[in-house]
Amino acid sequence: MIMNNDNFLQNLTKICGSRNISREPKDLEEYSKDLSFLKGKSPLCIVWPSKSQEVIKIVKLANDLKFHVIPVSLNSRFKQHGNSIPRKDKSIILNLSRMNKILSINRKNRVVMVEPGVTFEKLIPILKKEGLKLLLPVMPTASQSVLATALEREPITIPRYHWDSSDPLLCIEVVFGTGDLFRTGTAAGPGTIKQQQKMGQAQVNPMGPTQFSPFRIIQGAQGSLGVVTWATLKLELFPSIQKVYHLQSDNIQDLLDLQYELLKYRLCDELFILNDVNLACLLKEDQQEISQLVGNLERWNLIFIISGRGPLANDKISYLEGDIDDISAELGLNFSKSKVEITDKEIFHFLNEPCENPWRMRLKGAYQDMFFLTSFEKLPKFISLMETKFEKDLGIYIQPINQGTSYHIEFDLLYDPKDINEMKSIKEKNMGVRAQLMDFGAFFSKPYGLWAKDVFSHHSLEIIDALKKVKKIFDPNNVLNPGVLCFDD
Amino acid sequence: MEEEEYQKMIKRCVRCSVCKWIPQVQIKSQKYASGCPAIDIYNFHPYSGGGKIIIALAYEMGRIKPTEELRDIVYKCTACGNCAVACKYMNTLEPLEIIMKLREKLVNTGCGPMPQQQAYIEAVKKVNNPYNEPHEKRTDWIPDDVTLDPNAKILYFVGCTSSYRRKEMAIATARIMNEAGVSFNILQNDEFCCGSPILRIGDTTTFEEILNKNLDIIESRGIETVVFSCAGCYDTFKVDYPLSRKFDFEVKHTVELFDELIESEQLKLTDNVPIIVTYHDPCHLGRNAERYEDWDGDVVPLMPLVSINIPPKPKRTGSKGIYDAPRKILKKIPGLKLLEMERIQEYAYCCGAGAGVKSAFPEMALKTANMRIEEAEDSGADFLVSACPFCSTNLQDGINDKKSKLKYFDISEILLMALGLEPEKLKQATAEVL
Amino acid sequence: MLKEEILKEFQKIVGDENIDDGEVTTNTYAYNWCVEFVNYLANKDPIPFSSIPKAIILPSTTEEVQKIVQLCNKYDIQFKAQSTGLGPWNQPSTDNCVILDLRRMNKIVKIDVKNLYVVVEPYVSGAQIQVEVMKFGLNIHMPGAGPMASALASHTSMCGPGFTSPQTGHSARNVLGTEWVLPTGKILRLGSLGLKKESDWYSGDGPGPSLRGIMRGWVGTKSGLGVFTRVAMKLFPYPCNTKYIAKGHSPLYDFHLPDFIRAYLLDCRNFKHLEKSLLRIEEEEIAFICSHMSSFAVMAIFSYSLESLMDKIAIGSMKKPLVIVIAARTKREFDYKQKVMNLIMDELNLTNIIGSKYEPKSLFYAECLRANLGYHGFIATGGFQSAKGQCDTAALCLNTERKNIPLKQKYIEKGVIANDFGEGAWMTSYESGHYFHMEVPTLFDQTNAESVKGIAEYMEESNQMDLVKHLGTPFFIEGDELHDEWGPHLMNYHIWLRKIKETFDPNGISDPGFYISSKKGDV
Ligand SMILES: Cc1cc2nc3c(=O)[nH]c(=O)nc-3n(C[C@H](O)[C@H](O)[C@H](O)COP(=O)(O)OP(=O)(O)OC[C@H]3O[C@@H](n4cnc5c(N)ncnc54)[C@H](O)[C@@H]3O)c2cc1C
Ligand code: SF4
Ligand code: SF4
Repeated sequence: MIMNNDNFLQNLTKICGSRNISREPKDLEEYSKDLSFLKGKSPLCIVWPSKSQEVIKIVKLANDLKFHVIPVSLNSRFKQHGNSIPRKDKSIILNLSRMNKILSINRKNRVVMVEPGVTFEKLIPILKKEGLKLLLPVMPTASQSVLATALEREPITIPRYHWDSSDPLLCIEVVFGTGDLFRTGTAAGPGTIKQQQKMGQAQVNPMGPTQFSPFRIIQGAQGSLGVVTWATLKLELFPSIQKVYHLQSDNIQDLLDLQYELLKYRLCDELFILNDVNLACLLKEDQQEISQLVGNLERWNLIFIISGRGPLANDKISYLEGDIDDISAELGLNFSKSKVEITDKEIFHFLNEPCENPWRMRLKGAYQDMFFLTSFEKLPKFISLMETKFEKDLGIYIQPINQGTSYHIEFDLLYDPKDINEMKSIKEKNMGVRAQLMDFGAFFSKPYGLWAKDVFSHHSLEIIDALKKVKKIFDPNNVLNPGVLCFDD
Repeated sequence: MEEEEYQKMIKRCVRCSVCKWIPQVQIKSQKYASGCPAIDIYNFHPYSGGGKIIIALAYEMGRIKPTEELRDIVYKCTACGNCAVACKYMNTLEPLEIIMKLREKLVNTGCGPMPQQQAYIEAVKKVNNPYNEPHEKRTDWIPDDVTLDPNAKILYFVGCTSSYRRKEMAIATARIMNEAGVSFNILQNDEFCCGSPILRIGDTTTFEEILNKNLDIIESRGIETVVFSCAGCYDTFKVDYPLSRKFDFEVKHTVELFDELIESEQLKLTDNVPIIVTYHDPCHLGRNAERYEDWDGDVVPLMPLVSINIPPKPKRTGSKGIYDAPRKILKKIPGLKLLEMERIQEYAYCCGAGAGVKSAFPEMALKTANMRIEEAEDSGADFLVSACPFCSTNLQDGINDKKSKLKYFDISEILLMALGLEPEKLKQATAEVL
Repeated sequence: MLKEEILKEFQKIVGDENIDDGEVTTNTYAYNWCVEFVNYLANKDPIPFSSIPKAIILPSTTEEVQKIVQLCNKYDIQFKAQSTGLGPWNQPSTDNCVILDLRRMNKIVKIDVKNLYVVVEPYVSGAQIQVEVMKFGLNIHMPGAGPMASALASHTSMCGPGFTSPQTGHSARNVLGTEWVLPTGKILRLGSLGLKKESDWYSGDGPGPSLRGIMRGWVGTKSGLGVFTRVAMKLFPYPCNTKYIAKGHSPLYDFHLPDFIRAYLLDCRNFKHLEKSLLRIEEEEIAFICSHMSSFAVMAIFSYSLESLMDKIAIGSMKKPLVIVIAARTKREFDYKQKVMNLIMDELNLTNIIGSKYEPKSLFYAECLRANLGYHGFIATGGFQSAKGQCDTAALCLNTERKNIPLKQKYIEKGVIANDFGEGAWMTSYESGHYFHMEVPTLFDQTNAESVKGIAEYMEESNQMDLVKHLGTPFFIEGDELHDEWGPHLMNYHIWLRKIKETFDPNGISDPGFYISSKKGDV
């Protein structure tokens, strides 16, 4: 069938209802760009489906009429990485924010099932009431999609609960690029979800069905292989007592060595390292307060939490304290006390609550982030490289992931969007430095936007070839989010 | 092993490969985790103990024929018995016995043994020793100063290897017994091969003749105890002979005797022997020297598919080998330090010489020895000590081949030093390692 | 046998001594555990021999594997890779297949202490890795099969449950960088290993989607999609001090217990009580081992022979047994964990049978630490295989167990499988109770034709029950026939799986017998 404006819109309207489609120039304009330096095309329209059946129909229609579908889970205000703005003509935005039901909360099996439109703001308090804790990235934005965050393999702040790089994502329901509906892991069956639940199942095993685990290829695909319509996420129990450790040092190696031991023996929950700038941005909202705090913090800050729950919570805390003291003594480490008072409450706040506006914007109004994975030994090398390139307004966040088998390191280049020169300089340096990082062995496991091409050029052809084969299987007509990753090269 | 049991057992291998390793709970390093020289060298599964059980089954089912390929695989095995210990840690199969039975079958069809092995069978038949040495030279090792007692109730069965190839062991043994005042005799020209090399390659008919000849002679002399310095002869007398013919005399390896003599202070260890040694457990003195215990209980069906033995049938697990005696001796020697290798006792790694391998597959014997030497070196010792002339020969070949700094001594030679009977040897040996 | 000229080409790759197409060797490799009932299920003669491989090849490097695979493509010969090679899934499904026995690829490539992983080749056993990483206070996940099995095979290609799963998870979830010779002979290096510069093993995902998703699922592709030559696997803290000393002699070694380890044997009243106990203990994150098994199985894990199994009557009549092992590095940790156990036992009205009615041998602890409990499954009849294998919540596992008992009893009554009162099951927690798996070890006699037939039929009926009653997917749904049967009930997954096979193995060279073939049944 040949696509023309009429049959295309008519069909979409039939599927979603006219109230769920927009061609408002303002909307189209908004979805054609984000906070990255990537220039997108204007979409044909924005569609807000309300159930998977509609998503199926839309994707099938896209295959028939040959238009592209860019799935997005949230409204685009704070989108950063250029991964959900149209790169091709004839694209529509599939906005899943109206699929925002919490489908089930299961305390017994520590799992929640959510649609893509469920935000952190909505989910966190509801779970807390049930004594459940969502595994969070460091202070997510309130309006951010919980599901999309997990789909992007965003690192979580409790590395000991990060049993697999895919956590906390478990099972998903997905509409492949062909328009076929699929459920992964134990959600695949036998039986419908209802029938499974009747037998006691809660879709907590992400592996399978049988001899493949398709959720892994949907995760990290930036919407280019399938549209996820719900997911189950792994939860933990909310502790009743928590104790904050905030250790500061000028020497990052000391902090790295200590966090290694803590993680090796699984002694703490939240665990990460921030530089002065990023910690200040997390603690304060006001520019001046941030600047002031930066001046009073040591360069490196290790934050970790120990916790206990139930009648023996205090016993647990004292066992952990004792073990941690022994380890610190063994390492012979001495850390400086903070020159300013940072209360536990302030730290809990950014660990447990989302923020209205992205915290990385607080100091200068805008930022570009560079994050990649690397190993323990290489962290200092990357830090020195970046510190020679960016003397100021550089936020750094180091997150051990996957139970300490690798490290997410993030450099946030903070800048003033109104300062054209600064912006230009950041833009220029951005690409150059990335290339250098890659030459040093930075593993950009989530290649976004403009730099995806560069990332793939640093990888063997076999990986690209294999990914393209996978794309051909699940989205043979290149309907979903064309241009991302390596699929269009 | 009886034919009926064999037929049943060859269907039961689970191919778990446990028999390629030492018992799992004894593994201490990646390097020294394996237990089977044959699989270590030849790699294909049929070379392992379990692999040979499958071969036995395939052979019985007519899937494979008695060919040279089959013969080579079945004989590239030192019959060290690690597979049997490892399997019976939890399972109940007898890979070593199955290998022996399989060899017997190959001999009976004319497919086995290897030509070199056939040659030594002929030699034994002709001159009573596998080395094809003149029978009359068997006693040449005896030095003038050794005292024998024609009326002794203790017989020292010297064995072919000590008589012809490792005379130092025979001499040391005799001297120690003299020193302790133990009166003993030897069979002189009436000593013949014990039959071990013949049995281990599957010629059970010839073996049977030999054992009867030997037992007839010994029994006719009113001997109460037979002492062996050769682990192979000892194992054959102790474990294999009684399966065909029971006898009344006691069998003892020299390490057992020496240990007793030290305990009773008939031997006094006077001299300092300031060396660091490690001890290699010979398969025939260790795991394989465990006797079959008589059992005439009942197999009682407990429920469909499950029957149990009442009373429980003793399992030969290697636990009753002679492990403590040699260690006790070494530990009592003044100044001597004993360091253990990783694989010891019932899970010791073989020296590589046994069951006709040294003659038919010298390269396999040498490779195995080299691996064992490396382990001895890694123990931190300067001296490698054992209690078997066969191990002695092969391990010394390994030391030479590998150009190892280790020095090999039989435990009796070390004892001589401690008794002050070999001061020169001790001096020279310590000088060499230092 | 291979054609002379093809044999020569293979010889050129690995050397004459590392390929064997002789009758004895190929027949030996045709044999495996459980092949007799797999044959029965495929309407073949129920003997323990499969199709005979054309030859056995022993490559020693990834490059050799690659060349072999390329040659297989050239001559249209299938291959089957095996590591330690236990089980029918190692068997060629046709006469046109060579076996790659990876025994010579036996190196620990690297122990990365700081990044808590180890990189190994196929023929390094779990025990070999454990003893080396223990030197750094670390531990490796081992499957229930035991420490003699290949860790690489378990992580890349097989199943993955293990007795220590509460603390060490599931093999499939512990995989990092992976080197993979695809069925076409191309070498795919996953994640950070695929970097052109400074490649390293710490991640197996990306860039972008994780190809671990096609590499394996809940179970592996069992050599149906290429050969894994090296893999990085996560390491875990060793649960207590690392002195591991077993004195005495086989089999009853006297194990010197590390300072802080303790076992609990609890008897729950019924399935509900058991579920509650499992969840309660696991959410406290204290267990090193947390397994439910039948009384019969409990007797077996404490026994070293059939005869000694029978004298464990004290524990032979438990209702719903639960075995917990806690271990700790420090006294503080140990005291805390024991306190928690006491609290829970009070709360749930449970008593520890160990220390009151029964005391296990010290060897039990040695086997817990070395993951050697699974092998006890062979004690009773010498033959054993597990039915089921579903994995999700504790409730699903227990429902499955409950519904399975009458079915199993039916076969016990026929006398074709051994009598464990129908209750024989093993269930373990993973990742501190985030999910559970259960399987039903079933004892049969592989030398008894009726028993072989019986277990095969029981397995089939058990699968049917799971399908119809929505009890999750068992382990052994593999091969075209079962995929085609189950696919339509599981979102037509078989179509996608088949497309993966077709795409990555266009010539159908990687033996599809225990995976899927591209040819049949596409919808
Ligand atoms: C007593 C007992 C208990 C068991 N319990 C468990 C359990 O608790 N959990 C569990 O997971 N399993 C269990 N099993 C099954 C077990 O996983 C397998 O039998 C065992 O892992 C054998 O695998 P292996 O390591 O010897 O690997 P192999 O047998 O060598 O390989 C397993 C499969 O992977 C393929 N394969 C191997 N290496 C490669 C490679 N390099 N590339 C591609 N394909 C390859 C093989 O073709 C085969 O299909 C148990 C088995 C027994 C006997
Ligand atoms: S002989 Fe014993 S240990 Fe060896 S593979 Fe067979 S069952 Fe396993
Ligand atoms: S007897 Fe020794 S060499 Fe022979 S198969 Fe058994 S372990 Fe291997």
